Amino acid sequence: MKAFLKRAGSSVVVLAVVLALNFFLFRIMPGDPLLAIADPRFSPEAKARLAVQWGLDRPLPEQFAVYVKEMLSFRFGLSMMTSAPVWDELKNRLPNTVALLLPALILSTALGLWGGMTAALKRGSIVERIVLTCGAVSFSFPSFFVQILLLMCFAYAFPLFPLSGSASIPPPEGIKSVFDYLWHLALPVFSLTILGFGGFALYIRNMMVKALGEDYVLMARARGLPRGRVVWNHAFRGILPPVLTIILMSLPGVVSGAVITETVFSMNGVGRFLLEATNSHDYPAAGAAFFLLALLTVGCNILTDICYVLADPRVRREGAHE
Amino acid sequence: MNAPEKTSLEIIGLSVTYAGHGTHRRSVRAVRDCSFSVSRGETVGLVGESGSGKSSVLMSIPRLLPESASVTGKIFCRGVEISSLSEAEMNRWRWRKIAIVPQGAMNSFTPHLTIGRHITEVLEHHFKMPRHESEARAAELVKTAGLNENAVSRYPHEMSGGEKQRAALAAAIACEPDFLLADEPTTALDVITQKEVLETITSLTRDRGMGVLLVTHDLPLASGSCDSLLVMRDGEIVERGPAREVTSRPKEPYTRMLTDAVRDMEKPR
Amino acid sequence: MNRLSRGFSAICLAAFVLLAVTGPGLFGLPDGEQAPPYSVPGWMDRKIARTILLSSDSGALSWNYKPPRRVSVTGELNYGSINWSTPERTFVLTDSPGEVDLDARDVPFKRALGMDPFADLPKALFPSGGEYRLWIDGEGEAVMKIEGGRWGLLGTDHRGRDVAALFVRGIRVSLIIGFSATLIAAVLGVSLGLLSGYAGGLTDSLIMRAVDVLLSIPTLPVLMVLAGVWGKGLWNLVIVLSIFSWMGTARTVRAMTLSLRDAPWVEGLRALGAKRGYIIFRHLLPEVLPLLLANVALGVPGTILAEAGMSFLGLSDPRLPSWGRMLHEAHTYGAFTSGAWWTILPPGIGIAVICLIFMDLGRKLEERADPRLVAKVGAEALKEAAE
Repeated sequence: MKAFLKRAGSSVVVLAVVLALNFFLFRIMPGDPLLAIADPRFSPEAKARLAVQWGLDRPLPEQFAVYVKEMLSFRFGLSMMTSAPVWDELKNRLPNTVALLLPALILSTALGLWGGMTAALKRGSIVERIVLTCGAVSFSFPSFFVQILLLMCFAYAFPLFPLSGSASIPPPEGIKSVFDYLWHLALPVFSLTILGFGGFALYIRNMMVKALGEDYVLMARARGLPRGRVVWNHAFRGILPPVLTIILMSLPGVVSGAVITETVFSMNGVGRFLLEATNSHDYPAAGAAFFLLALLTVGCNILTDICYVLADPRVRREGAHE
Repeated sequence: MNAPEKTSLEIIGLSVTYAGHGTHRRSVRAVRDCSFSVSRGETVGLVGESGSGKSSVLMSIPRLLPESASVTGKIFCRGVEISSLSEAEMNRWRWRKIAIVPQGAMNSFTPHLTIGRHITEVLEHHFKMPRHESEARAAELVKTAGLNENAVSRYPHEMSGGEKQRAALAAAIACEPDFLLADEPTTALDVITQKEVLETITSLTRDRGMGVLLVTHDLPLASGSCDSLLVMRDGEIVERGPAREVTSRPKEPYTRMLTDAVRDMEKPR
Repeated sequence: MNRLSRGFSAICLAAFVLLAVTGPGLFGLPDGEQAPPYSVPGWMDRKIARTILLSSDSGALSWNYKPPRRVSVTGELNYGSINWSTPERTFVLTDSPGEVDLDARDVPFKRALGMDPFADLPKALFPSGGEYRLWIDGEGEAVMKIEGGRWGLLGTDHRGRDVAALFVRGIRVSLIIGFSATLIAAVLGVSLGLLSGYAGGLTDSLIMRAVDVLLSIPTLPVLMVLAGVWGKGLWNLVIVLSIFSWMGTARTVRAMTLSLRDAPWVEGLRALGAKRGYIIFRHLLPEVLPLLLANVALGVPGTILAEAGMSFLGLSDPRLPSWGRMLHEAHTYGAFTSGAWWTILPPGIGIAVICLIFMDLGRKLEERADPRLVAKVGAEALKEAAE
């Protein structure tokens, strides 16, 4: 339990750092934050009014307190561009991002697991070669390049999928709209899946090859246990904690991937919202999107941590002793 | 060579060659034309310095050598030529008829499983024993091997080397195998524990009438607990005979060297 | 074979560096607008004309290409008229004296020729294959620029710039970012890793907490926000990237330091009265250095990819041609709806190749730093054989 609390504690620290970073990045920057929203030609009175409106006239600690309260209550304030509540816009976009990331994460993990295991068990097979190639691709090809190539192939050269967007224009009615949504989602999810698959499968393969060479796996075979049991209960269970760590470490990258993927496929998600907000110097909006993405990461972190503690009896046992 | 006996483990003309890897393309012939047999109730010592190929002999019997190894020769266990069995059939012989006590320095236990689980897993698989029965049996086995009963719920990393070796012994005799292959079972243990573990092996196998192949580099240790000895050098068996005879009147210069080395060390200073 | 491939990645890197240093000047690759947007690469479609300059006194032009993308006429007319003869008919392009600057896209020009403002004038001027002639009835001189839409080695982008020239210029950004950010990160990582491993205690746990936290923050959003706040300069990006990529090195160095700290020979040094700084810099650092070099090489692809990602999102200096920027523009200005793959493939493949080169070099360095890695496969076989 203690082990888990320690890990959960570090997640809270991450969140705190993100909050602080978010605040200070926007406020302690070269120049006046007001310059971003107000035209320099505005009269001093108008500028002062704006400062009051955005709470920029108060001392920093007070601003920080207000800011933390706003963030934790998911209010995020008003957008500097549209003057509408940021949360209203984000609320509509969050499902799109989750619908992109979650299936991609699940698919790439499942496929990576299968591919990595097969590659490790059948050295020299086609699957191993695919895994090695995909691994090299995912470490050296920019994700957006792979996605653009996919777009060129499957949306331009062979128009099987739409070039951009999350829905057709005009959007179809009823049940058709669900299929339309999935149809638009297919290529982005597929691209994220193969990109995630390569790296993950390569890790699994390498760790599995090492695990299969361990003494205890040889001994498990010597005990006459069936192959599946040796592979899964002995070798794979042994590498499960590091595998979970790999998943954990890849999460920030996956979230970063959302920004790029949403940009390539012109999807309405939190990532592209962040890009648009950054480009238009809309700090409350950018901050909120950043916070949300960080929150997503931290949430997944905690989830993986729980799995980690459950998977490794050594960690579990040490916790129980204390 | 006579027809294989029904009660023994016979190794006839065994050779093991390792294919070379990468820059070391030279293949290595680790074992050359070895023949010997182990009868039930008998303890045979296979002695040689490190690199003499004795571990290769041992691991080739349950067919557990790495894929780079090619094995020729015949192996009979209780009259059945196990060297020509399919992998699936071979799997039924492993542990039920031929079990291994691994090297003390090996991580022979899966780190995330308890000692008890290692034993119950084997029992459940080979004898289709229900969980509660196998657990009771595991506790019993662990006690016979001279361990505390609560050892079954401990993880390998929570045990000392001697304890682990005893647990390995308990796991090895779980299926009452006919033959026990002990691969340097006492290396990496201190002298006193070495003696205790070896005594446990001897007593447990004598009671059950198991045949033991004891692979070791420790000649005095082998001569103390074996009925007969095989001396290996560079992949070949250079001398064989009853334990006492080999140690007291070694014929081969190599064996003489080994015994002399021991004698030199034991000489009072 | 092995030796060959070892040399190969190093040679490739050297070639890239050379190209980056000498730049486009070496091949005389031009800057700025050169040809119509999305002109196809020079070696592609032979039915499309390259850019041709036809003078009024150079005689007939034999034309057997598709109609050109752009046609313009410049020159000076003292009196008379500038005429254009096609196999079918003759156009009087202009008969007003003075400076001549005509472009086939101009509506007045089309009107003057008695055509519809939306008509495709180049097509009317080049209706089919055959002999064409620009000639002056009177006195003056004129040059016709016929831009067929085929240009250079890799065609042009949406602004008519030479893609090959942009590609060569882009190497520089990738290499600068890759090297400098990774180097700074390595220095940070080594110093913090050594400090953390050697000092232990509170310092150690503080640094390691920082590593954990930084590792679990999504980097790209932070970079985006920073680019928005600090500006889009190259060096801003270098600094930010290095702040976010020292953690792996720090962990490795710390682990190595921990294992070395209690090594007998370090204990011996301490017993001899060596100071902490002396032990760290004269003994521990050289020990971890080879591995560090490998780490640097392996870290370069990460920073190059991060820069490419930022540029792709449009968060880089627009004046600085980089590969990510090229892809950003290709994506934004509809390169694939124009089928202009030549604006997409070269920068993308360039990034991938340079990353692969560094990964390969890194792995080679790693093997050299830790011979056990190489020998492992062979040694395993020998070990097995020995037993």
